[in-house]
Amino acid sequence: MTPTYILIILLLLSTAGYYLGRRRALAVVEGTGGPKVLHSRPVYYGALTALWCAVPTLFIFSFWLVCESTVITDMVLSKLPETIQSLPADRLNLVMNDIKNLVNGNIVSGEENADLQAAADYYQYLRSLSQGALFVLISVICIGAVSILQNRIRPELRARNHVERVIYYILIACSVLAIFTTIGIVLSVLYESIRFFKIIPVQDFLFGLKWSPQTAIRADQVGSSGAFGAIPVFIGTLLVSAIAMIVAVPVGLMSAIYLSEYANRKFRAYAKPLLEILAGIPTVVYGFFAALVVAPVIRDSGALMGLDISSESAMAAGLVMGVMIIPFVSSLSDDVINAVPQALRDGALSLGSTQSETIRHIVLPAALPGIVGGVLLAVSRAIGETMIVVMAAGLSANLTLNPLKTVTTVTVQIVTLLVGDQEFDSPKTLAAFALGLLLFVVTLILNVIALYVVRKYREQYE
Amino acid sequence: MKKLLLSVLSLVFIAGVGNVGAESRDYISIVGSSTVYPFSTVVAENFGKTTKFKTPKIESTGSGGGHKLFGAGVGVQHPDITNSSRRIQKSEVETAMKNGINEIVEIKIGYDGIVIANSKKAKQFNLTRKDIFLALAANVPNPDGTPTVVPNPYKTWKDVNPELPAMAIEVLGPPPTSGTRDAFVELVMETGGKKFEFIKAMEKADGKQFKSICHTVREDGPYIEAGENDNLIVQKLDANPNALGIFGFSFLDQNADKLQGSVVEGVAPVFEAIADGSYPVSRPLFFYVKKAHVDQIPGIREYLKEFTSEKAWGDEGYLTDKGLIPMPAAERKKYSDIANNLTPLNASDL
Amino acid sequence: MNKPENTTSGSVRTVDLVQKGLARRYKAEKRFRRMGLCAISFSLLCLAVLFISIFGSGYSAFQQTVIELDIVLDPSGLNPNNLAGADFNGLVKTALYNMFPEVKDRGEKKKLLSLLSSGAAYKLADFVKAHPDRIGKALSLWVPADDDVDMLMKGHINRNLPETERRLNDQQISWIEALEEQGKIKKKFNTTFFTAGDSREPELAGIWGATCGSFYTLVITLILSFPIGVAAAVYLEEFAPKNRFTDIIEVNINNLAAVPSIVFGLLGLAVFLNFFELPRSSSLVGGLVLTLMTLPTIIIAGRAALKSVPPSIREAALGVGASKTQMVAHHVLPLAMPGMLTGTIIGMARALGETAPLLMIGMVAFIVDIPGGFTDPSTALPVQIFLWADSPERGFMEKTSAAIMVLLVFLVIMNSAAVYLRKKYEKRW
Repeated sequence: MTPTYILIILLLLSTAGYYLGRRRALAVVEGTGGPKVLHSRPVYYGALTALWCAVPTLFIFSFWLVCESTVITDMVLSKLPETIQSLPADRLNLVMNDIKNLVNGNIVSGEENADLQAAADYYQYLRSLSQGALFVLISVICIGAVSILQNRIRPELRARNHVERVIYYILIACSVLAIFTTIGIVLSVLYESIRFFKIIPVQDFLFGLKWSPQTAIRADQVGSSGAFGAIPVFIGTLLVSAIAMIVAVPVGLMSAIYLSEYANRKFRAYAKPLLEILAGIPTVVYGFFAALVVAPVIRDSGALMGLDISSESAMAAGLVMGVMIIPFVSSLSDDVINAVPQALRDGALSLGSTQSETIRHIVLPAALPGIVGGVLLAVSRAIGETMIVVMAAGLSANLTLNPLKTVTTVTVQIVTLLVGDQEFDSPKTLAAFALGLLLFVVTLILNVIALYVVRKYREQYE
Repeated sequence: MKKLLLSVLSLVFIAGVGNVGAESRDYISIVGSSTVYPFSTVVAENFGKTTKFKTPKIESTGSGGGHKLFGAGVGVQHPDITNSSRRIQKSEVETAMKNGINEIVEIKIGYDGIVIANSKKAKQFNLTRKDIFLALAANVPNPDGTPTVVPNPYKTWKDVNPELPAMAIEVLGPPPTSGTRDAFVELVMETGGKKFEFIKAMEKADGKQFKSICHTVREDGPYIEAGENDNLIVQKLDANPNALGIFGFSFLDQNADKLQGSVVEGVAPVFEAIADGSYPVSRPLFFYVKKAHVDQIPGIREYLKEFTSEKAWGDEGYLTDKGLIPMPAAERKKYSDIANNLTPLNASDL
Repeated sequence: MNKPENTTSGSVRTVDLVQKGLARRYKAEKRFRRMGLCAISFSLLCLAVLFISIFGSGYSAFQQTVIELDIVLDPSGLNPNNLAGADFNGLVKTALYNMFPEVKDRGEKKKLLSLLSSGAAYKLADFVKAHPDRIGKALSLWVPADDDVDMLMKGHINRNLPETERRLNDQQISWIEALEEQGKIKKKFNTTFFTAGDSREPELAGIWGATCGSFYTLVITLILSFPIGVAAAVYLEEFAPKNRFTDIIEVNINNLAAVPSIVFGLLGLAVFLNFFELPRSSSLVGGLVLTLMTLPTIIIAGRAALKSVPPSIREAALGVGASKTQMVAHHVLPLAMPGMLTGTIIGMARALGETAPLLMIGMVAFIVDIPGGFTDPSTALPVQIFLWADSPERGFMEKTSAAIMVLLVFLVIMNSAAVYLRKKYEKRW
């Protein structure tokens, strides 16, 4: 009787509840005019019964499992000989691991030990006991819920409203998850960031024009310039993202227009998923491609024109990244363009405008909110992209807007700093957390601005 | 439809979470340096195939991240062993002590040669450490001979040393977060810097300034930080014959048809020269074992035995095939004794 | 147009005006259309170039060099009840030395032995375990060759280079040529690659462990992120009152889409590993982290799709007496489904190709055993690609490309599923 089986039984019981509830609802109105007398359609009575079964039992189920292991562990440990019990808590944890290995039939660390074997047997006994109890509890609750509802189901029971309210709460819970994620991210980088700012003053980090983490401790630094200035790193990110968007937005948008307005169904059915593959190719591949194919081509063609282009130029990384995010723009825009009502197009065409005029003056404005959403998503992806830049753009933080020079981005720095060999508590590693936090804040501000701009524009349009 | 999906969702989620309580670990968990990773994985694989134990899980997290995870505490959720491309630091031992790890066993496994190489399409370089220092340091002694430093003015190798080719200085190397860089700076740049009397005198008088001159690599372009992927450096060098690269010996060993190692101080980076110490740039590699986990997590003792056996780290062992430079026999004996007796590291030795 | 007196009174009639501009407008039309075609050809060209370069360097990994050994299964050293203690390595060595009786020197013997993979003995062991009745008899068995031999046979090592620049010396090449003459060395389809877990020997390394890991991870991600993403999009677009709270949620979601993926790894480390104490390196945690990472993509795409459903549909549904939930579930959601699926596919594709967040939760690891469940330690395909790309051995280069090809096959399958679903749902008004 493992938890998985109990869970399946729970779901089966809920399904049974659904059918019982529905049958009951139909039976109640049998002979008094049929389903139309009911307040809600019969399925809602079934769904309500199923929810009554599933919601409380699921809570009990998860709670039980969370507590079970702690309780059983304590009980097993208390039966162990004194010598083992006197060990510190972390050592006991290892002993417990050995016991669990015995229970699961895994490889154990040493030779057979009667005490441990007894403990393992006891563990097994307790576990089956607990799971049996859980099974009985869950069954009782389900049966109870069904029988209560069987009595409650009347034509005037507003089953639909109850069910809809539950759905409503589930929907809210799902969207609030985003807030929890944000809080989680902030909390997980905040602590280390604060430690970083204790070593490097905030203003040096925010407004410093030089990023050079090679000297770790301030006292060691040459001169007074702060070596942890975030500005060049952020400028680099913006530069690479901008190049990527210059490639991705026109190409993506024109592809989307062609696919949804000009291409025949068959071409579209194949071309669109093909484009989406571009978004799924692992970024390591793009990185290799950018570093070994695109970058040398750019360097050599620059040499032909007498330009001195570094082999780790922002251009190479940006171009390749642009190709990668084409589908973010094209696929999403294609969907929204496709969803513009045909009547709008027909109207414009019947007034004598050509197809391209219809698209530019009627379809695109109508689809704009969706397109903006897609473009914003693409920008986000460009800012957060790592591997391409790691491989193609290098790590040197130059404060420049020249796309032919080497730049570095926030994500590259975070990755390199986090997986480095230096001591984890040194400012070098902590700087990664600070960069993460700052990037988070910066994109937050950008998004707030974007929200207001988009909203203002939409109001004018409507 | 949605209800169905929701129920499947909860099924998988809760089934996954639900089984966690009963989970137990019967394999060794290893974290740490990406430089030691290629060696410890070979040992782990042989260990897994020739014993009844499972193959250890080896994460490549970087030495710093490895020590952080390793020092977090005793218990099944913490790793048993951490690989490191540098020695553990005092502060890391202190953190570990604070978290209840009282005994750490230190095993040195051998050496990793650091090579400077370029494409076969160009000429082989013959460098001294002084040349390298002059080419790559952020601040170099004033060319006019006065005992002051100026921002590095050199653009080509010929500027540095008239015997070198008139090629622009372009070196792809590891970033400052890398242990390879750390070792390179210490073994090459520092020694190169000491060739100048006034810098050498500085070491005693003003250690900090000495370090800042010798340890700061120039950031005006000629030195390109190329990340940790050594294969990428190899391929970039192949595509760009004007550049030199700094990376581990095993990558040169595997790409001998494309790349040539530069001669440093008259010695070419070949296996024998690194092993007998005549090639000057190599650094030790380590791993650290949590003694409290031995005999509690299955297989740690046997893994140590495999690693410290002659067929693994000996002169003809399989680790040398992967590019590890073995320690002299006496040193191997010392560390295999430590592994057998699990002699813990003495914090005052650091 | 609606003022005909103007056109009649003036010398210029509308129709002339229209005629005059027509050529220009048609030209613009053509240009616009051509631009669209160019854009899409450019994207497809990029795709083709990437595919060709990957395929070009990866197809050879599907073949493997094997050497035939004539082995005598001497019963004295082989106890059928205790095969684990048998010296299979010795048997393989003897068999190889017997093929080249002229090799006597110890150093030469070592060189000779290095032609064989260390997997040869395991292969023999597996064979004997499966056929204990063959003990005492002679057999000939194809065993894997060393990766250097494999590279030579595939032409990745140039035989004409000076000896010092090759991983194989002249004598080894002469042995290989002798084997070639006898027909004892050949290339065959590489099944190991599809059935084995990771290995440090390129000739023994396989993709199956990583594929399983990716599968488990993606199952978790899909099962969690699709319903949650759709639900959140529906709530925000259809139900949420327009107030500050929903604004906060909206900005939050847009912002999360821009958070670099490695930061989600940090979140996973802090929340799932340290707080909930879920097992490290497991696909369960990987799936949860990737869920959080893909959710914003799915929500944003889902909202865009919902926005594009015309209000008339909603009004009609409400007009015939549907409740708001019914209107959404029965009318709006089906119409928005193609767009939602697109978002999900893109999001999942990204999750399938992501390495950075897995680094922090211990999935960038060397794991030989094939994961058997959600809580077993596992890697994922992109991680495997990343690790192989960073390995010094030349043999891993083609393996890297081949692994990418496997990943792309996954991707194509997922996209085909999306095409099917989209075709089923797509509608145009």
